Amino acid sequence: MTRPRRWVPWFLAAAAYLGFVISLYLTFVHYRGYVSPCYVVHGCEQVQTSKYSVVLGIPVALLGTVFFGLMVYLGIGLLTSSRAALVRTYKVLTFLGALAVIPLFLLQAIVLKAFCTYCVATEIVMLSMWVVSFLLTTPEQDGEQVEAEAPAV
Amino acid sequence: MKKLLASRGAPWIGGTLLLLIAAAGLYLFTGATASVESKAPKAAAGDITYGPANAKLTVIEYSDFQCPFCAQYAPILASLRQKYGDQVKFVYRFFPLAGHPYATVAAKAAYAASLQGKFWEMHDLLFKNQKAWSASSDPRTYFDSYAQSLGLDLTRFHTDMEAQSTLDFIAREAAAGDKAGVSHTPWFVVGDKVVLPRNLQQFEKLIQDAL
Repeated sequence: MTRPRRWVPWFLAAAAYLGFVISLYLTFVHYRGYVSPCYVVHGCEQVQTSKYSVVLGIPVALLGTVFFGLMVYLGIGLLTSSRAALVRTYKVLTFLGALAVIPLFLLQAIVLKAFCTYCVATEIVMLSMWVVSFLLTTPEQDGEQVEAEAPAV
Repeated sequence: MKKLLASRGAPWIGGTLLLLIAAAGLYLFTGATASVESKAPKAAAGDITYGPANAKLTVIEYSDFQCPFCAQYAPILASLRQKYGDQVKFVYRFFPLAGHPYATVAAKAAYAASLQGKFWEMHDLLFKNQKAWSASSDPRTYFDSYAQSLGLDLTRFHTDMEAQSTLDFIAREAAAGDKAGVSHTPWFVVGDKVVLPRNLQQFEKLIQDAL
């Protein structure tokens, strides 16, 4: 057993913020009707203009923005408290997030055969959040740790 | 202020502020018409142009016929050519991207059409029908039909498409673009500035300001 890791909630909040910024950028590009260029390192245009970039009329980028925005606030919640329900909710949401980005990555790799740097970046952020969320501990676990590590009197 | 910073609400206020700052920054960033000094060669004899040779202002476009974003810009450029075609010289330069398998053959078709004086007509057809020929296994049949619809001499069109000089011309323009730092398409130069207007209004303003 190890002591509660203080860097974990900080990492999760920062990663969620990064995911929010990238997703919001893609959302603006989508909604403002602006035209983006095709880059020499190709991929973004195929991914951004593909039919998979919109799910049930909602751009995937917008879903990402809402999700990461929520995760920023939950991350702040983890920084200020470590209630068991919050930790459990965070773990479930990061698991669902990871579950959502895997097919998106596979679509790029197998169907579109093109990668969008921004999309891959958010997928990496999401997966890293899921992995790091395993290190989150509840107050009960922290208590057990302290007891286990306390010297016998 | 100290009380506010020490309060339990401070992290939430700080987090919200960070989100709002990101939103405002990105809103401005995605709307910016970035402008830097161009290193692209100036318009010269041999360029494919539209508009008066001695125009006060030159607009250069490095473009790829298979780039979907270039296709989105095509109607914007068509409007500008129509409106400012008597005051501005529009230059088209080939910059086929490696990621687009038919970009070079489409450029060849456009160049071959230019040798029969129908570049801009072929340019418009290629962009208008980009999705169709891009998805096809044999885009040449599409290019032939466009050439026919424009009344081009088909035999000459084929000969010009296959000529080494055609490929050399395209390669020369792409190499010059590469050297000038062209990193994406479409890549626009208005006057001596590289710009990325995001819609017709922004493009028009840049031209009006430069005139």
